[in-house]
Amino acid sequence: MPKWSMVIDLDKCVACQGCSIACRFENNTPVVAPDQAKLGRAMRWNDVFPLPVNPTEETGEYPHVKAQYVPRPCMHCENPPCIKVCPVGATFIDEEGIVEQNYARCIGCRFCTVGCPYGVRYFNWYEPQWETPLAEHLNPDRVEGQGVLEGPAVRPLGVVEKCTFCIHRLKKAHAQAEAEGRDFRADEYVPACVQTCTGKARFFGDLEDPDSTVSQLALKPRSFRLLEDGGTHPKTIYLREG
Amino acid sequence: MTKPLSRRDFLKIGGVAAGTATALGVLKNAVSAQTVTNVAASIQTTSDEKIVASTCHLCSAGCGVLVRVADGKVVKLEGNPMHPVNQGSLCPKGQAAPELLYNPDRLTSPMKRDRASGQLTPIQWDEAIQLVAQKLNDLREAGHPEQAVLMHGDTRGQMRSFLTRFMQAVGSPNVVSHESLNVAAAKLGMYLTQGVYALPAYDLENANYVLSFGANLLEAGSNPQRTISGFSYLRRGRATRGKVVVVDPRQGVHGAKADEWIPIKPGTDAALALGMANVIIRSGLVDADFVKNYCFGFDNFASGGERKGFRDFVLENYDPIRVEQMTGVPSTTIARLAGEFASNKPAVAILPGKGGLLNGGFGGVYAAMAVHALNALVGSIESEGGVMTQRYMPCVDFPKLPSDSVASKGLKTERLDGAGTKFPLGRNAYQAVADQILEGAAVEALFLYDANPVFETPGGNRFAEAFAKVPFIVSFSSFMDESAELADLILPEPTFFERWGDNHIEGLGYPGISLFQPVIEPLYDTMNTGDFFLKVAETMGGTIAKTFAWKSYEEVLQFRLKDIGADWDTLKELGVWMIPGYRFAKRGSERWIGEVVGADRLNAPRDGYFDLYSRELNCFVGKMKKDELAALGISMMGDGANLPHYEETAFAGDEAKYPFVLNVITLMSLGSRSEAANMPSLQEISGMTVRETWDSWLEMNPESARRLGLEDQDRVKVESPFGGINTKVRYVAGLRPDVVNLPFNQGHTAVGRFAKGRGVNGLEILNPASEPLTGLAAFTNTRVKVSRA
Repeated sequence: MPKWSMVIDLDKCVACQGCSIACRFENNTPVVAPDQAKLGRAMRWNDVFPLPVNPTEETGEYPHVKAQYVPRPCMHCENPPCIKVCPVGATFIDEEGIVEQNYARCIGCRFCTVGCPYGVRYFNWYEPQWETPLAEHLNPDRVEGQGVLEGPAVRPLGVVEKCTFCIHRLKKAHAQAEAEGRDFRADEYVPACVQTCTGKARFFGDLEDPDSTVSQLALKPRSFRLLEDGGTHPKTIYLREG
Repeated sequence: MTKPLSRRDFLKIGGVAAGTATALGVLKNAVSAQTVTNVAASIQTTSDEKIVASTCHLCSAGCGVLVRVADGKVVKLEGNPMHPVNQGSLCPKGQAAPELLYNPDRLTSPMKRDRASGQLTPIQWDEAIQLVAQKLNDLREAGHPEQAVLMHGDTRGQMRSFLTRFMQAVGSPNVVSHESLNVAAAKLGMYLTQGVYALPAYDLENANYVLSFGANLLEAGSNPQRTISGFSYLRRGRATRGKVVVVDPRQGVHGAKADEWIPIKPGTDAALALGMANVIIRSGLVDADFVKNYCFGFDNFASGGERKGFRDFVLENYDPIRVEQMTGVPSTTIARLAGEFASNKPAVAILPGKGGLLNGGFGGVYAAMAVHALNALVGSIESEGGVMTQRYMPCVDFPKLPSDSVASKGLKTERLDGAGTKFPLGRNAYQAVADQILEGAAVEALFLYDANPVFETPGGNRFAEAFAKVPFIVSFSSFMDESAELADLILPEPTFFERWGDNHIEGLGYPGISLFQPVIEPLYDTMNTGDFFLKVAETMGGTIAKTFAWKSYEEVLQFRLKDIGADWDTLKELGVWMIPGYRFAKRGSERWIGEVVGADRLNAPRDGYFDLYSRELNCFVGKMKKDELAALGISMMGDGANLPHYEETAFAGDEAKYPFVLNVITLMSLGSRSEAANMPSLQEISGMTVRETWDSWLEMNPESARRLGLEDQDRVKVESPFGGINTKVRYVAGLRPDVVNLPFNQGHTAVGRFAKGRGVNGLEILNPASEPLTGLAAFTNTRVKVSRA
């Protein structure tokens, strides 16, 4: 069974946000109203942000300053704190290592949005809306596992949603392999953000396979994970600049 | 059944140079990988699905896209892996493009405006065609076809030549491109040295050392995705990682991602480049073969007297100690950069496609010449890892225009924008059209294609005034933008998802064509502007109808692209066709002389010499006296005026009163096209670097802001001698303390619900002047003061 992982090379990432928007159009995350966006409620599963987030924080004396930009999908932790705080078992890690959200179970308590140290979980404060005819572009795919929505059909008001590593693409690839009567190969699928990456900074694959690109890159001296010492064991891995 | 496109398959496509059955098969597989119909019960998708290859039209890069169409609706775009510019990638603008197609504010039918009441009435296309044909025939009967003017934006491919030909057939030389707002300065720098009027293409993939003079490689340069692809490969796509140095008053994303950021005093790039040249020459690191055998004017020479060459001029005037005074860059840094540049070949110095060179004076063009001269000194002209010369796909020539006395008389008139006359070196002076009309130039009919001059030029409200003097204005915009709001006829063009078109692929040196095709039926009662002009021609009758006998614009494309090496069906299927692999011309060879160095020179000899001493410029300014040169803002006399040199920028606004230089920056997210501001996803992500959203902001160095008592996020008033605007200040540490930045493409008063009334347009307070020799707009010579609002 593969264990999915993403590697992001910050030396190649150019902070264009193509990943953020590719994710939106693949996964049907709504554009929230401008005042809501200003409150930090924009729904971009894969966000890109500057470090330090607060520009009044000093990072050096001009001209010896260097802005940093971090693209941030879900870390798909091996030990995800979001799961531990969920009172109803609505969030879980599946057999391929993807941290999923069961929208039918979610009661909208938002413990997980606080519990996640990476801020990757998004609450639907409003009924998702698109001004006519914008909804025409919604991704028509709908993937269910055991009768429960996994993606990317629109989620309802009051539930938390998050990056699924484009699980519907994975399921479609599995189904295709099955229909063709052959084994599924790990290089048959990538999430939308990986496909669109303008700097070719993203890599995706199976961490269980020691020969996969992600496994090889994870061994590089440049590799690190966000908040490593928190014991979350992220499967989203970064490569340092320079 | 099918398998997805693997990296190996993609390489295979390149290997067989595309177009063979294999390549087609692979692409089919690639596009159908998502079209899974025979799947387990838990997967619902649409039954009717297809993938169509086309081209994105949201910035000048023109990336190839594969559009996923499900049940007749556009639901997702991916980059086309076969397109050499984006190689399967797609930026946020391209990803958000369905918001352009399904935008609630699109224009849905042709309309006529009553000027007195401002009332808009929907009309039929037939009426629109009649009105335009009548107007043009009237002008021709009156013997003044030149009074019809067409302004266009970044219109590439056959549309540009088609529109130009239409206007020529009518008899008007007045086709005005927007290049004076962006790329013309770099093109002129290239023209006056290398003798080719084109943007250079850079072989970033093979460069070891990249020195970017404000070229904004990673956000919004002249061809952003092309330079991102090159950057990414140079960084980690090959065995050795190339070094990137960014020279720019603002760090931005490209400075942050570079190995080194040189915060230069605005407008002094020429001095830095020549200071580096000084060190390179003194250290004996020049490419001796190139400067001695393929350059003109490196050494002193005799031509009607002793003339000074580049070498002595630079040695005398640009000692790094002096250059430090001019640029604010330490002399030790200058010396180090020069050494690194000349000894880590291939090295390449990159010109910006817009920005710093448009500083209101001819100094901007000298800066372009100086930067490009660095490439010559180290032998990076037409060499691996250096500068390539853009080649274009050969297109079938339009048939010769029939003789037409009215047209030939009209074509002999001076251009309305003053290019070639008032601006002797200029080829287009887009922003000057307003001044010319206000000064009394007669314009009877004005066509706006891909153009929104009221919004996108410094001091654009002049256009609003000028438009009042033009009796007949036609806009082809898909949205009711600021300029369309003042037009008499609004004839919406469909979006790029719904029409035919093409681009010449640029930035890789080798020729290529990228096709736009209708991926779905047009949503509204819109018409491709190409089709519209064909119908106008038919209605006008006579020689014009004969000249434009095609039934549709698609046929025009088929005619023009007949000989590119791919048949129409193949081109439609792949969306792109090219002759890949850039072949460098050998120094001094026939191809060198015919295509690379000197080919476009109008006055100086086309002898294959790279001009370090510009003979072409000498033809314009060589005989001028001191006061004539001074009027052009050139302080050097004699040989100095023909050599790249540093001219102090003549800023509008006194430094004591207006302490900051205002720099209007273009963002990766919103780009420079007005309709992008009406795409909600792009609005949402527009201010990523400072965590802003749906708004404008003023970037300021925290020290400078604190000295004015301004906290981060305070509301401020930004005032220049030309006006004032209110916005909020954001601290940006990577910015010179004497420069402030305002992002472009906010502050719309029209276009649509998402764009309108949001933030401010910094261009409103920029110097609206045009540079007197070239007609370039002035984007970076305005000073401002900032105070609490």
